[in-house]
Amino acid sequence: MGKEDKKYEYSVNQVPPAIHLVISSMQHVLVMVVSLAFPILLAGQINGTPELTASLIAFSMIAAGIGSIIQSVGLPMIGSGYLCPNLCGPSYFSLSLSAAWAGGIPLMRGMIIVAGLVEMAIAPIIQKLKNVFPTFIVGLVMTMVGVSVIKPAITSFFGLAYSGDAIWSLDIFVGLLTLMIMVFANLWGKGFVKMYCLIIGMLSGWMLALIIIPEYRYNFYVLNDIPIFSLPAIGPEFRDITFDFKLIIPFAVIGIGSSLKSFGNLLVAQKISEPELKEPNFVPIKKGLLADGFSTVLAGLLGGMAVDTSSSNIGLAGATKVLSRWISVGAGMIFLILAFFPKFGSILSMMPRPVLGAALIFTGSFMICTGLQEMFTEKWDQRKTFVVGISLFFGLSTAFLPGLYARAPHFIQTFFTDPLPTTAVVAVVLNLVFSFDLVLGKWRDKNRNNA
Amino acid sequence: MKNSLLGFCDGCGETMRVLKKWRPLIVLLVLVSVLAGCKRKYDDLDLTMYQYRDTKNLVRFVYDASLILKKDGMESLNYFRDNRKSFNTRDYYLYVYDMKGTNIFHAGMAHLEGKYLWDVTDKNGKKPLQLAYDALEDRNNPHAWIHYSWWETGKFYPVPKASCHFKVTTPEGNELLVGGGINYPHEEKEFIRIIVDAAVQLIENEGRKALAEISNPVSKYNYRDVCVFVFRPDGEILISPTINSTLAQTDFLECADDVLHKPFAEALKKLQSADRAWEAFMTKSRYKRKLIKKSLYIRKSVLEGTEIYVAAITDLPEPPN
Repeated sequence: MGKEDKKYEYSVNQVPPAIHLVISSMQHVLVMVVSLAFPILLAGQINGTPELTASLIAFSMIAAGIGSIIQSVGLPMIGSGYLCPNLCGPSYFSLSLSAAWAGGIPLMRGMIIVAGLVEMAIAPIIQKLKNVFPTFIVGLVMTMVGVSVIKPAITSFFGLAYSGDAIWSLDIFVGLLTLMIMVFANLWGKGFVKMYCLIIGMLSGWMLALIIIPEYRYNFYVLNDIPIFSLPAIGPEFRDITFDFKLIIPFAVIGIGSSLKSFGNLLVAQKISEPELKEPNFVPIKKGLLADGFSTVLAGLLGGMAVDTSSSNIGLAGATKVLSRWISVGAGMIFLILAFFPKFGSILSMMPRPVLGAALIFTGSFMICTGLQEMFTEKWDQRKTFVVGISLFFGLSTAFLPGLYARAPHFIQTFFTDPLPTTAVVAVVLNLVFSFDLVLGKWRDKNRNNA
Repeated sequence: MKNSLLGFCDGCGETMRVLKKWRPLIVLLVLVSVLAGCKRKYDDLDLTMYQYRDTKNLVRFVYDASLILKKDGMESLNYFRDNRKSFNTRDYYLYVYDMKGTNIFHAGMAHLEGKYLWDVTDKNGKKPLQLAYDALEDRNNPHAWIHYSWWETGKFYPVPKASCHFKVTTPEGNELLVGGGINYPHEEKEFIRIIVDAAVQLIENEGRKALAEISNPVSKYNYRDVCVFVFRPDGEILISPTINSTLAQTDFLECADDVLHKPFAEALKKLQSADRAWEAFMTKSRYKRKLIKKSLYIRKSVLEGTEIYVAAITDLPEPPN
């Protein structure tokens, strides 16, 4: 078997040797850590105390850890059984913040539970939507999963934490070097180097940043005040769960959007884990969506932020061809343990933004290209051009022109939120509309035959 | 193919082989740990209260200049003049005054050098230099921040500014004010912490007389869209955040933001067990007509034997877009 033809280093059900399992799991944990920015940001936005921030991070990590294990360990009724870890879902951030503002953490918890239940309710229907998602739309959704990472990836790559703030040349240098190390190691590395290209790149970039940018060293000073081990404090904010009827529709919509994203993620995970499949097998995808919804409900019950399947980790698995689901289980366990060791979790969350950005670009590239390949495996025609073209126009416009949608009618605002769900919804609707003549033709043929 | 849990037991050989491959990385890690432990010139400069890099960079920029002045004394002014461009960057500019109000160096406006500017005012009547000297004496304002409006060379519209300052004693024994300004500054939470804490101090020192100074639009308690306001628990407004009269008596406890959150009610709950509190809420942006996040900083104080609340509101940083 030629080097380029090699399907994988570790297949989906293979258990890697212990040391490889630990390093690979750590490699995935480093990517998952990116999402810890969301509970930190949310706590900052609601002027949360350090205790609230610590608890929010810990509960989010516990939910993501358990979610990753359930998703991948291979339980009979729930979980896809693919390498598909969970992390704090960026798509939930804005709405969770609105809920936290309106009714504090208790309302945020309640509404996250609602969104999770919506995701769980959608899971069984996915199997019946086979005809709604032809291969080229599946490819489009997969592409958009990668596209949706562009914003956090690029802002992180340039080291930007807040809108309008300064960008340092040294940050760009660190990000660029990290990215190049990852790509070179992946392209020309062999075995070990290729397999751990991401962790090699991230650690090298992190060290370089510590050496040349003093601010990243100063960040470590806060570690003195953080305990090595602690149980998450259940403060007054975490003792109640409340609901608000007015927020049900927005959270239900975001739950559907999140399901679509996870649907795309699971399709990619399936594509890279079982390339021999001619068409999607919806059974593991259904089980995966159920696990995703369950993890979101769990996050709400625990008091963490909503969790979601991670595009970046699937991209990493595809890029390194290390696909063992046990790595996802390992990463989940490490994440779970780290929740009780805040000092170590804090060290990981201090990873320089440009390094995180480089990792997101590296993994996102894989997601985008896998989706494009999938999209163009089918014979192309004008119908598909308009379905894909128009849905991309409107889907991408939510990222290019967010201000426009902020002033749009409420109905539009509800559905035009993010490139991935918007593109997916518009593409599905347009495909149904543009295929109307084909359906009608089939129906006439059927009637004629019957007559 | 290792397809079972037995794969875990491949033994130490594999582990050692892997560790050997990581040797250069481990060496680098140790090197970095040693480097990180070394004392650096900013170790004494606490910037953790600031959220934006631009703000931190400005403080470091002025601090660096103060270290040069401390070390090389008045001779360093020639160095500043010979390298004017380095001290007048796209983002910041440096200036040095004696302690009586005479400019002795200005990186961006050389024509000010040698001029006595004690009474100079901005467009709104603020006296930036007097505010700067006052800020240097304020222990509650560690980097002596002031806010005013000025102009950029070659431009024709007022530019909002924020400046920080250090007091330096040169080896020759001269006391100097060294400062740096930033155009279009970010709104830091620390800025409202400084003015609210100062207002509380003034009220505790001077009682009702302090209210006139706090509500004076050219005082340090008011800048850009920010103002310190004061009210009693029963709702009586002593200094209004919205209009300069008692025409509108608002019940702050009932005030709700655009997502129906009641920031004052929440903040006062926190004040039952603390003497200060932060609370976030949403409101329409004056410029973008969309919802943005704001932060309320509120403190408990006492005026004429009764409890009062002193507060100010500023923008919260937005995630990158």
